[in-house]
Amino acid sequence: CVCLYVNLNGFLGLTLGTALVTPVEPHFTECMSRDLETFRCWWSPGTFHNLSSPEELRVFYLKRNSPSSEWKECPEYSHLNRECFFDANHTSIWIPYCLQLRGQNNITYFNEDDCFSVENIVRPDPPVSLNWTLLIVSPSGLSYDVMVSWEPPPSADVSTGWMRIEYEIQYRERNATTWEALETQPHTQQTIYGLQAGTEYEVHIRTKMKGFPKFGDFSDSIFVKVTEIPLRESAVLLTLVLTFGVAGILILIMLIVVSHQQRLMMILLPPVPAPKIKGIDSELLKKGKLEELDFILNGGGLGGLPTYISDYYQDEPWVEFIEVDEEDADCGEKEDQKSSDTQRLLGLPQRSVGCFSADSHPDDDSGRASCYDTDLSEQDTHLLAASLLPGQPEDEEAFLHPDEKAPASETNKSPLIQTESEGKPTWINTDLYAQVSNVMPSGGVVLSPGQQLRIQENTEKESQKKGTLGEDTSKLNKPQFQLLVVDPDGSGYTSEITARQISTPPSSLVPGEGYQTIYPQPMETKPAAPSEPNQSPYILPDSPQTRLFAPVADYTVVQELDTHQSLLLNLPTQQPPPPCLPQHPLKAPVAIGYVTPDLLGNLSS
Amino acid sequence: LPGLDPLSAVWVGIICLVFSSRLSTMKAASICPNDQTGCHLLPLANLFDRVIQHSARMHGISDDLHSEFELYFLPSKNQIGRVSRNCHTSTILTPNGKENAQRIAREELAEIILKLLVAWRDPLWHFHQSMSQHDEFTNFSSNKSLEMSDMVHELRKGVLKVVEKMQMLGIISNSVGDTGSPEALLTSDSAEWRFMKDYDLLYCFRRDSNKIQNYLKILKCRIVPKHGC
Repeated sequence: CVCLYVNLNGFLGLTLGTALVTPVEPHFTECMSRDLETFRCWWSPGTFHNLSSPEELRVFYLKRNSPSSEWKECPEYSHLNRECFFDANHTSIWIPYCLQLRGQNNITYFNEDDCFSVENIVRPDPPVSLNWTLLIVSPSGLSYDVMVSWEPPPSADVSTGWMRIEYEIQYRERNATTWEALETQPHTQQTIYGLQAGTEYEVHIRTKMKGFPKFGDFSDSIFVKVTEIPLRESAVLLTLVLTFGVAGILILIMLIVVSHQQRLMMILLPPVPAPKIKGIDSELLKKGKLEELDFILNGGGLGGLPTYISDYYQDEPWVEFIEVDEEDADCGEKEDQKSSDTQRLLGLPQRSVGCFSADSHPDDDSGRASCYDTDLSEQDTHLLAASLLPGQPEDEEAFLHPDEKAPASETNKSPLIQTESEGKPTWINTDLYAQVSNVMPSGGVVLSPGQQLRIQENTEKESQKKGTLGEDTSKLNKPQFQLLVVDPDGSGYTSEITARQISTPPSSLVPGEGYQTIYPQPMETKPAAPSEPNQSPYILPDSPQTRLFAPVADYTVVQELDTHQSLLLNLPTQQPPPPCLPQHPLKAPVAIGYVTPDLLGNLSS
Repeated sequence: LPGLDPLSAVWVGIICLVFSSRLSTMKAASICPNDQTGCHLLPLANLFDRVIQHSARMHGISDDLHSEFELYFLPSKNQIGRVSRNCHTSTILTPNGKENAQRIAREELAEIILKLLVAWRDPLWHFHQSMSQHDEFTNFSSNKSLEMSDMVHELRKGVLKVVEKMQMLGIISNSVGDTGSPEALLTSDSAEWRFMKDYDLLYCFRRDSNKIQNYLKILKCRIVPKHGC
């Protein structure tokens, strides 16, 4: 059947049903109470056309509070609306009411389903005085919260507690179709969260009785809108502040790190202990402060090194020293400030000749004593060595001394001395760099001269000494030269170059050829007239000395300095090392001047 | 005490005196030290609120159960159903309107509430029993009926407490007792409710729980109107 539904506003709604249209009898459409004190009922006449006038239908009601109740007529009619109004006197709560329609001829239209209790038909009025306030806007300015407040409906008696009302808010965007509903709650205000700025919202509220399902009508809508606040400036400011703040903090951290860098590095990367060489300050070596290093090594002065060092390192057996000025130490004399390092290196007597004695030899296991017991006269050696030195006024005495001491007047010596004396001034003017050809066991270094005269003289000596020394035959053929230790400025600087020795091949040795031509390698100044024998800076070595000379290579590494301040060079392996060329493993050379660490290693090896 | 020397006994006595005095003052000193207007009624208002909340919950449960019954049996338009009998509590005279409820004396209103609560104690228990026996009802409904039955008990105790408080405060007279003979009430219509169907019971209880809720609210707003009415 098709059911017609007519509501209070007169809106006609058709519900779908079958095609059959059956006449509908008069019936009640709705009964409603607004305040739980009164109620109304509306009826519809139906499709019966018999009833021409609306007054023909009459409403009767029955209150079932007692078994003897009877039907009574509607206390108040409103025929215009087809409404029956029950006032407070006629309204009883919690009592079932039944209504019926009666037409003419006492035809009653009654439906059992139309019975009700008033509390079940309550639909409260909507709230009044709706308004909204802005609670808070989000920092981005895009969304905001709104507090909506209202007043309870005036018809509902809430103050006496007779009615307990709950409210339901619904909102939607202006042009939206669906409503968003919030939870029903009994308070007269509620917050709507998360509304978007710039959008207009429509809000309305409806009420219902607590504990009962029926809602009342919606209230009039209110419109909520918050204009979008452009917060660009504040955002930019915020970002600027943040950036500068972060930069400031970073700078502060950097400053702290830099100021406490050392401490931080110590904490983060603790230094690894590195090996140190005693007596050698690596810092001085690195910085190249040769004078200071030399000063330190020399013990603050010339000749003081042995005492200083020997006292310092007496407990260190592995420490080897090049005893530069042993004689002075033994003799207990003061160091001669003026004597050069080269003199000391060569073992030349400086002041006290008395120190030149066998007793002055260091009592070590070097075996050098044997060397000195041999034919080699140390005095000659020293004489020769001294003669090789660049001219110094004090050397005259030194030169003269051995002359006095040596009773044996070899013809060779005097010319030697003479040549020495002659050669002294020439020596001064001569080239500072020369090639070392051989090193004497006593410590003298032989330089290769450039004069044939010397060669001839030498060869005579060699032939004489050949018979005496058998084992040194190999050495005799070798032109012997003494080492020229050049100390131009007296600073003690001795270059490696000057310590080189020209290696003369044994095959080239010919008795006739006493001397070889010198090939100075890193030559700064060449001798002006090497042809002149008198001006030759080179001195012919003595024959007794020559035989003891071991043939050495042209270039050798300075092994060490012996007690007589002579450089001991590495001998070539092909030649048998002379017995008097001892190795002093126990003594480590102490550099007079600047020595590179690798050279130092070579020296000490 | 044998081991107690006089000095310590004196100390103990002093301490006891202090404690007792404190206890007595504690009784007098409640939430309101200066006895402001209405301040001393705050605990009563809180009690009322609690009781009202309880009754609201009870009514909600009964409403749920009633709706469920209607789904199974009788869908009705106005939730009226077909009540074949009057409720067994209809003999209790209750105010049926707002004016009546406001005109009635407080003590009478309180008494009516208590009567209602007492009247429903046994029927609800039996209702629960019959509910659990029926298989067509879900466990949910069975739990609700049990809860409903328990709530009636609790609510009665709560209302008694409120009445006691009111009597203590002198708001109502001491005429409202524990309705010393609830059995007397039940004897008159003790058999009536047994003949009621389960559905009718639910309908009646739903109505009566609403009555109780309303009466309690009215009573509160009459006695302590400033605390949330």
